[in-house]
Order: sequence, then C-alpha cells, then structure tokens
Amino acid sequence: MTLEFAAHKQLGPFAYEAEFAAGDEIVVLFGHSGAGKSITLAMIAGLMRPDEGRIVIDGRVVFDSTAGTNLSPQLRNTGYVVQDLALFPHMTVAENIAFGMARAAEPRERVRQLLEMFRLEGFEERRPKTLSGGQQQRVALARALAREAKVLLLDEPFSALDESLRAGLRRELLRLKERLGITIVFVTHDLREAHLLADRVAVFDNGRLLQFGTRDTIFRRPCTRRVAELTGVTNILPATVREGAGEYALVDSAGMALRCAVPPGMTFHTGRAVDLAIRAERVILRRSVPSGPAPSNFVEGRIVSEDAYGSTHVLRFQTDSASHETIEVEIAARPYEVLGVANEKRWTLELPPEDIHMMTADGEAPTPV
Amino acid sequence: MAFGADRPAFGAVALATFAFALFFLLPFAGLVYRAAQNGDVWRLLSGNVVRDALVLSLWTSTLSTLLAITFGTAAAYLLARSSFPGKSLVDAIIDLPIVLPPTVAGVALLTAFGRRGLIGQPIDDWFGFTFGFSTLAVIMAQLLVASPFYVRAAKGGFESIDPQMTRVAYTLGASRTRTFFQVVLPQTWPALLAGIVLCWSRAMGELGATLIFAGNLQGRTQTMPLAIIQAFEGTSLGLDGAIALSLVLLAVALAVLVLFRVFTRHAITMG
Repeated sequence: MTLEFAAHKQLGPFAYEAEFAAGDEIVVLFGHSGAGKSITLAMIAGLMRPDEGRIVIDGRVVFDSTAGTNLSPQLRNTGYVVQDLALFPHMTVAENIAFGMARAAEPRERVRQLLEMFRLEGFEERRPKTLSGGQQQRVALARALAREAKVLLLDEPFSALDESLRAGLRRELLRLKERLGITIVFVTHDLREAHLLADRVAVFDNGRLLQFGTRDTIFRRPCTRRVAELTGVTNILPATVREGAGEYALVDSAGMALRCAVPPGMTFHTGRAVDLAIRAERVILRRSVPSGPAPSNFVEGRIVSEDAYGSTHVLRFQTDSASHETIEVEIAARPYEVLGVANEKRWTLELPPEDIHMMTADGEAPTPV
Repeated sequence: MAFGADRPAFGAVALATFAFALFFLLPFAGLVYRAAQNGDVWRLLSGNVVRDALVLSLWTSTLSTLLAITFGTAAAYLLARSSFPGKSLVDAIIDLPIVLPPTVAGVALLTAFGRRGLIGQPIDDWFGFTFGFSTLAVIMAQLLVASPFYVRAAKGGFESIDPQMTRVAYTLGASRTRTFFQVVLPQTWPALLAGIVLCWSRAMGELGATLIFAGNLQGRTQTMPLAIIQAFEGTSLGLDGAIALSLVLLAVALAVLVLFRVFTRHAITMG
C-alpha cells in the first residue's frame, strides 16, 4: 500500500504546506504541538479539506483539488486513532470493534481474529471504561483496523500512558507493522518515540513540512538549522567555508578551524556561510590530544555546568577558542564514572569530521556536483 | 476528631436545611389537609371543569413537548456542534423566554400572531384564520415558553460528547445519521430526558402567556393553571375547586418526578 500526500491550506494567519509519499512503513510526523501534524492526519482521513492538493491512498485518489475529487471520511478506509481514543463508552469491546465493519462481512469471525491479535480475548463483553489504559489502547487499534484500513493514522496514541506501558505498545506497533503491511502515519512530539518507530520522519514546524526523509537522514543530516534544533541537536555552530572541494571541507567556526565530512555528491563554495550540527552524544571526551597524525578536530574546554539524567550526563563546556563557544556533550553514566568526570573539569573534546554535519545557513541545498 | 471543631457550624447548617425543607413541605401539607377535610373537593374532582382542564393540559403539553423535541433537538445539536455567524445571537434568542416573564411572552405572541399582529393580520385577511382563543394558541404559548428548557438541556448533553468520537465514527464508515443515533444519542439521552421533563413540566404549568394569547375558555384553552385561576377568582368552582385542581397537578408532578428518577437511575447503572 502507498500513500501520496500534498496539501496546502490557509488557516487564518497560519499557512499549512506539506508534501510526502510513503509505502508500507511507519511515517512519523514530528514537531511541537500546533506544528501541523494532526491537521495532516485530519486531511488524510477526510475530516479537513485542504485548499489545494492531492491525496492518494493505495492507488485511489481520495482528494484532488484540480479534479474536484473529495471523498468523504466514510469512504476513505482509514483507521484513525486519536489521543483520547474516543472509544464508544456505551458499547462493549466487541461492539466497538465491529462498529466499522460492513454488514455483509463476517463480523463475528473478524472480531474474534482481532481480539486474538490484540490479546483481548475474554474482554469482548466488557465496557471500555472497565479496561486498563493499555487494553483500551488495543481496543482502539483493533477498531481502527476492523474495516480493512488502507492506512493507519495514529494521533499521539500513547502519550496519555505511563512510560512502562508505552514501551510495550511501541514494540507491539512495530510487530503490527510487519504483520499488516500498510502505511502507518504516527504523530508524536516525543523524540525518542519518533526515533524508535520511524522508518521515515516528516518534521513539521509552524504549519510547514520542513524535511521528509528516512530516520537516519533526518537525525544525522537535518537540512536546516531549525530541523536540527527540533530533532534535538544541541550544538549548532555558524561557520564559513574555507575550502569546500573534496571529501572533507575545512571551515572556520568561532576561531576554530574544523574539518568536516561533505555529504557525497555535494560541494560547498569557499566563503559560503554554513551551520554545523554536532549531536551532543557524538562528541568524544579525551584527556589530551592523541599523538600522531590525527585527521580529526580537537578543542580544549572546561565544564561550566552539568545535568545528570540517570542513564546519561549532559556536560556543557566552554571552549578555549577565541569566542568561548559553548559545546554540549552527552556521556553515558558508566564512562562518566570510569573517566572520573565528576572530579576533572578540563578536557579535550574530539569532534569527529564524520559527525559534523554541514547545513547551508539559508536553508538552500548545497550545489550538487 | 476533625469534626469536633466544626460541630456548631454543622448544627447551624443542619438547622437551616431543616427549616428550608419545612418551608417547602408545609404548603403541600396544607393543600392535602384542606382536601382531606373538605368532602366537596372530591366531588369537584370528578366534575367537568377539572376533567376538561386536565385532558387539555395533558395533551397540549405532550404535543408541545414533542414539537420541542422535533425542532429543538436539531437546533441544540447545531448549536452544540457547529459554529456559524450569529450563533451566539441565536443562542441568546432561544434563552430569552427562560429569563422573560411569561406574560411578556404572551403579549409578544399577541403582537406577532394576534388578529392585529405582524403575521396574524395578513393571515386573517387572506385565509380568515385567527390563532387567538384556539387550542393552537395554547400549544404555541407552551412551545415558546417551555421549549428553551429542552434546548438548553439537550445542548448541554451534546456538548459533553467528545467531538473526536463523531470524527472517529465517520472514519469508521458511519454516516452522520448513524453516528447521531448510535454514538451520540445513546450517550446523551439522560440529558435529553431531563430536558423533556423540564419542558413538559413547564408546559403543564404555563399560565401567563396562555392567558393573554389564548384566553380562558373551558374545553378549548382552559388548561389546569387557568382553571385554578378562574376557580380562585370565584367565577366557577371557588376555592375548593382551586384546591381540587392543585391536588391533581401535584399528583401529576410527583408521578413525573418519580418516573424520571427511576429512568435516570437505570441509565446510570447501565453505565
């Protein structure tokens, strides 16, 4: 199954704009609340009409502004699960699941299959309110899938649950993806959840789709400073290209000369303004600059503050470079203890060239070769 | 004990509650007491005037309530679920009769539908039909004064339903009609029932608007409250008649309340 989506809509001062396509995979719509994620789901489901655009679900055009096509939500065969689930409280679990099934179909057998698939056997006569949060969640999923949904639309379905329950449901969703072979569009503002579930990520901000790509592309090669910020990159340094040709570029950033990997097929002109994105967990702590020829970047710095999150520590360094740039480093709890970071404030930071991602400061793509 | 310090305050509250309850109970006790003492009341109860008024009251109130349900449910759903220009104005106009004295509603009806009224005059000129002094006028007065109580209650009921629930129902293939009857209505009927009871009771008790717009004709426009007024003024049955009529209304009101309690309790245990 496939999903093609392109839509534009003016909502007061807010302009919505997005375009992407996906196959049998999980597409995570990621962004702050109000960024346009839920609107995207509503448009796919047929609950909100774009001003312009085209939406194709499994080869069937459900919306096309130029052709005047606009199928009602009843005819789109989407499985829509909302954050508060909206289970019908006056119906039993079985009635909830069977609600969307065609009368001609064999509802009893299908309900039984779904109850089994979601481990809800024995609960069919119960009312939703008498079930646990995780069970209610599974009823909502079963109900959404009951009428052979071509695309599953999940609007922050796990956000109201405890962390422990969420982990289980996420794993269950990944298993479900394998079993169903349909497009799943999953809305979240949780970075970890996005990373765990996504095959592809669509990053939304202020009504616009900023970047769409595979998970690794989004998290390792954000296209703009804003995408980098949204996806949790804490070190973003402005820089100027000194030498852009070849596999590695040399850039000047706040008094530091840094060597960084150039994405294949790209070239940056000398003098071009760029932003460098370096994830905090990619920075390596060293006691001193290693001897020998080192095709890497080293900078001396001093810890000015730190936060302990249990499994990791976040250290903020002030570098010795001319502008005293701040660099954030995330280090796992064990190396933190083994290295004795608590008692030593001065370190050498290694910024591996492969982990420095270059972005054009104006957001335009660098010149392909 | 935590309650210890509060004991005097608690005593005062209990006393006030008891006095208030007594104030409510005494008039009804008086009514029953007078009826029990006076044999005439029982004779009057089986008389024509009481029977005519009761029958008229029951069927007109029921009909105006049915009309309120038919039109009011749609209006309430629209007001609860959609936004359109002038919505708050419509909302306020529907609320108006709740706040307005019924006599004002009667005068207003007269100026619109009376023989010299805004609509009443052309209708009288062209079709020779007048609303005034007919049973239709009674129903119109009841509808105007009582239906806002139903619309208000129904609107509250519809507003309490998560709008996501109807959206999800649409994506599950349910039409708007099916969604309303299978998803919305089963969850709102206790609120609708409360609205129906309020509306019907208000229609049963309607006096001011009916008196002005429909007049007070036995068998045609004389509902129970109008019969009570006439009896009390001494032009027909006298005070004993007023007592007899009041007793009947009291019985009806009690029956309705008890039935309502039974129904809603059932609804609550149904979950």
